[in-house]
Amino acid sequence: MHRLIVKQIAKATDAAGVVDIDALAELVSNAYDEFDRDRRRTDRSMSLMIEEVDVVSRNLEGLVAKRSAELQAQNLRFDIAINNMTQGLLLFDSTSRLIVCNQSYLAMYGLSPEIVKPGIALRDIIAHRKETGAFNGDVDEYCAALSRGLREGKTCHFQTETPDGRTIQIVNKPVASGGWVATHEDITERRRTEAQIRHLAHYDALTDLPNRALFHERLKEELGRIAPNQQLAVLYIDVDEFKSVNDTLGHQAGDELLQSVAASLSSQAGPNEFIARLGGDEFAIMQTAIGNQAEIIGLVTRVFEAIRTPFECFGHHVTTDASVGIAVAPKHGTDLDQILKNADLAMYAAKSAGRRTWRFFEPAMDARVKARRMLEMDIRQALLDGTFEVYYQPCVSLEDNKITGCEALVRWRHPDRGMISPADFIPVAEETGLINELGEWVLNTACKDAMTWPGDFKLAVNVSPVQFKSGTLALKIAAALAASRLPPRRLELEITEAVLIRDDDAALAVLHQLRALGVRIALDDFGTGYSSLSYLQRFPFDKIKIDRCFVNDLATQGGSSIVQAVVNIAAARDMMTLAEGVETSEQRESLRALGCSEMQGFLFSRPVPAADILRMLQSGPKKAA
Amino acid sequence: MHSQQITWNLHAGWNPAIEQPEKVALVFYFGTRDALACGTRYHELRKMFPKAHILGCSTGGQINNSDVSDEDVVAAAIRFDSTRLRLVSRQISGASASWDCGEAIGRELSDDELAGVFLLSDGLNVNGSDLVNGLVSAIGSTVPLTGGLAGDGADFNETLVGGDCAPQPRLVVGVGFYGKAIRIGHGSAGGWDLFGPRRQVTRSAGNILFELDGEPALDLYERYLGPEDSKGLPGSALLFPIQVHDAEQPDSAVVRTVLAVDRDRRSMTFAGDVPQGWTAQLMRGNFDRLAEGAADAARQARAGLRSAKDDHQFSILVSCIGRRLLMGQHVSDETEAAGFELGDETLRLGFYSYGEISPHAKSGICELHNQTMTVTSFAEVGG
Repeated sequence: MHRLIVKQIAKATDAAGVVDIDALAELVSNAYDEFDRDRRRTDRSMSLMIEEVDVVSRNLEGLVAKRSAELQAQNLRFDIAINNMTQGLLLFDSTSRLIVCNQSYLAMYGLSPEIVKPGIALRDIIAHRKETGAFNGDVDEYCAALSRGLREGKTCHFQTETPDGRTIQIVNKPVASGGWVATHEDITERRRTEAQIRHLAHYDALTDLPNRALFHERLKEELGRIAPNQQLAVLYIDVDEFKSVNDTLGHQAGDELLQSVAASLSSQAGPNEFIARLGGDEFAIMQTAIGNQAEIIGLVTRVFEAIRTPFECFGHHVTTDASVGIAVAPKHGTDLDQILKNADLAMYAAKSAGRRTWRFFEPAMDARVKARRMLEMDIRQALLDGTFEVYYQPCVSLEDNKITGCEALVRWRHPDRGMISPADFIPVAEETGLINELGEWVLNTACKDAMTWPGDFKLAVNVSPVQFKSGTLALKIAAALAASRLPPRRLELEITEAVLIRDDDAALAVLHQLRALGVRIALDDFGTGYSSLSYLQRFPFDKIKIDRCFVNDLATQGGSSIVQAVVNIAAARDMMTLAEGVETSEQRESLRALGCSEMQGFLFSRPVPAADILRMLQSGPKKAA
Repeated sequence: MHSQQITWNLHAGWNPAIEQPEKVALVFYFGTRDALACGTRYHELRKMFPKAHILGCSTGGQINNSDVSDEDVVAAAIRFDSTRLRLVSRQISGASASWDCGEAIGRELSDDELAGVFLLSDGLNVNGSDLVNGLVSAIGSTVPLTGGLAGDGADFNETLVGGDCAPQPRLVVGVGFYGKAIRIGHGSAGGWDLFGPRRQVTRSAGNILFELDGEPALDLYERYLGPEDSKGLPGSALLFPIQVHDAEQPDSAVVRTVLAVDRDRRSMTFAGDVPQGWTAQLMRGNFDRLAEGAADAARQARAGLRSAKDDHQFSILVSCIGRRLLMGQHVSDETEAAGFELGDETLRLGFYSYGEISPHAKSGICELHNQTMTVTSFAEVGG
C-alpha cells in the first residue's frame, strides 16, 4: 500500500481500532485535490516557463543575429582595410599557424590562396614560396631563425629579392597573444629613389659625370694610398670658347657642347682615369698609378684630341679647345686642397699663356697668382682712396699742326710701388669687373676737366669691351655729359676691335645708341687684332686710329702701304685717321704725305697731368716743331 | 543531558508526565497562534517547570518526531548536566530595528563560554537578515546561531514569541548555551529546483522587491500562480520561492520567501534582502527532492555534532511554511526523511516557520534562510 494511504488509515483509526470511513474518505479526497492542484501548478509553471524560455531564446537568437551581422560588417571592413594595404600582412598564432593573410601578400609573391589560407603552418608557406620561386633561401633555416628571434621577443627584420628583381622588406613583430604579425613591403621603388638621390648627390645632372663632391672624395682616397714609385695626376680642364658658344648659340647649344665634351672625354678615359665635371665649363681627370710622366702627357694628348673633335650643334660646326692645368702628387703636394689648388693654378697659367695649351704646375705660378690678387685688392683700395689720376695726351692736326683735342689716359701712382703701368693693372681690372667703376671715374673726371679747357678741344676717352657689355654704357655716358655739361660733340669714345668680335649685333646696337647721343666714335688700335675691314663697313666710325706698329714701320721698305690703304678706305667713308706713337718728324712728314688727318705721340707731347694740359691749351695754339 | 517530549491537546491536556520536572532547565514549545495566544499554555508549563527557561512561538504547523500536526501543542523539556543557559528577550518595534535588536541580544548573551545560540523571532515585523547580522556582529561568526521566525499558518497576520513570558507579538528571544560540554550540530538544505530563465533584480529596496527584468515582480508571481492560487497571496507565493545571488559570487546564493505583497505598488516583501543588480531565479518543489533536502540538513547536523553515538541527542527541526503548503499531506515525507537520518532514538521537535536561521552550508556564515529545512542537534558530553 502507498505509504500515504497507510498514514491516512492510521489517522482515521481511533484508539479502539475502528476506522472512521468519512474521515478517511476526506483525507483521501484531500490528497487527490492536492495532487490535482500540484499537477495544475506544475503544468502551468512548465508552460509559462516554456513560453518564457522561448521568448528568451528568440531574444537570444535576435541578439546573436545582430551580433553576427555586426561581426560580419566588422569583418568586411577589416577585410577591405587589410586587402587594400599596399603592404603584405600576415598574422600567426603561437603555434606558427596562419590566422590572417591579405591579398597583397599573395599578389606580392604570386602565391595560391588555396594553399596560403588560415591554419597553414609558416614552414608550409615558405615552402610554397620556394616552389613558386618567391623564396631562394633554406626553408628550415629561415623558419628556425625567425622562431629563435620571436622567442626572444625580438622584432625580426629580413630583406629578400624576388626573381623578378624586386626588393621586399619583411618585419616580424611578436604580439601579446603569443603569435606574431608579419608585414611585407615592396621597397624596390624606395631603394631606386634612394639610389637616385645618392646618384644625384654625386653625379652631374647634365653630363652624368661624377661631380665635384665625388671627385674630391675619390681624390682624397687615392691620395691616401699612392704606392711608392707611383704618381697621381690631377688635370683641370677649362673648355675654351664655351662662353662664346653659350652666348652666340644659346644655353641649349652650350649644354650640348658640354655633353659632347663629357662623352668624348669619357670615351678616351682608361681604367686608371677618373673623370668629373666640376661645374660650368670645368672638367677634371684624376689619373692614378702613374709610372712616368709620359703617361700623363699621353693622357693630355688624348684629352686634346677628344676636345678638339668638332661637333655639330643646331646646324653649326663647333670647334672647341681647352686650357689644361696639371698637378702631380706627391711632387706637387699630397694634401687634397693643395693638389686641387695647384692644378687650378696650372690651368690658369695655361689660359694666361693664350689658352689651347697645357701647363704643369710650377711653384712660381702660385707667386704670380698671389701678386695678381694683391694687385686686385690695391685697385679696390685705390678706387676708394681716389689715387688714380687722369693724364691727357694731345692730338694734333697734321694739316695745321694745331691741337685738336686730347686723349684721357688713366695713371696710377701706387703708394709703395710708384707708378704702375696700365698694361699691368687694366687686364686685372677688366677680369675682375673693376674696370666698370674705374672707367666711369675716368669718364666723369675727364668730362669735368675738359669743361675747364678753353675753346672746344675734343676729349677722347677709352671704353673697355667689359664696359661695352655692361648694358648701361650709353646711360653712363649721358649722365657724365649731363653732370659736366660737356657738349656731346666734344666727346670721342675710343673702342677696340675686341668689342665687335663677339655679339656683333648687340655691339652695333650700343654703338648706335652712343651715336644717337651725339658723341663721336673712334676705332682704336686698328691693325693689331683681326683688322677686319668688314667692321668699317658695318659701322660708320668717325675716326680710325692707326696703331703705333704701323707708324714704326713707315721707314721700312713698303712699310707705308698699310697706312696708305687705311687712309684711303677712311677717306672713302668720310672717316678721319689718327696715327699713334709718332716720335719723329720723319714719321710726321710721311703721314702727312700719306694723307693722314691727325697724329699723337711723344714728338708733340707725352701724356701729362690735367694741370699741365690746361696750361698747354691755355698757352694758345702751339705748333709742333 | 536528557530530553523528554510532552504534547498538549484540547481533550487530554499535557501528556505524559515529566520525571524530575524541577531539574528541567529548558523548555521549547510550539503551537498554533490560536493555541498560544491566551498565554495559558505558557503558564501551565511555567507551573510544571518552575526553574526552567521556557521559550516558544506560534507556527505554521508543529513537528513532533515524524508527525506534523496543526492541533497539538508540542514541547520538549530538557535537563543539562553542566551546561549553563542564559535567556534574553527584546521587543522589536519594526523591521528597521532588526539589526539593533539582534546586536543588543548578542551583546547580552556574549560570554567567553558561549557555545551557541538558539533564536526565536517575530515572523512578520522583522528583517531576518538584519536581525541575524546584528546578532552575529556581537557574538562573532564562530559561535553557531540557529533558530527560526515564528509562523502564523498561511495567514501572515500575526506571530507570537515567548521567552519566560506568555507569547506575544514583536518579541525576539535568544537562549545561549555555555560551557565545554554542550555540542551543537546544525544543517540547512532546501531541495528546491531552479526553473525558468535567470532574471535580474532591476528595482529593489532592502527586502522589498519591485521589479525583475523591468517587470513588476508581483505580475510575474500572479502569472505563475494562476488566478486561483493568486487569491492566496502572500502565502501562495511560497510555492515559488526565489533564489538570489550576486552575479559575481554564485556561491552566495540564498533562497528568499515572501512575507507580504503590496497589490497597489505591485511589490513583494521578502524575509531577507533582495539586492538590486543581483540575479534571481524562480524555484519550484518536487516532493521527493524536498524530502531529500530535509535528509541532507539532518545529515549535516549529525555530522557536525561531534558526539558519541550513544549520547543522548535532541534535535529541533525548523522547516519553512512554503514547504508544507506545497507538500500538503506529503509533508511528513520530509520529517520522516530527517528522522531516518537522525535516528529514532533522537527526540525531534520543531515547527513550520516564516524563516530559518542557520549557518550557510557552504560559506559557514550564519544567515537567514527561507524555504529550507534546518536542523539543530544538541548533545552534552563528559557528563
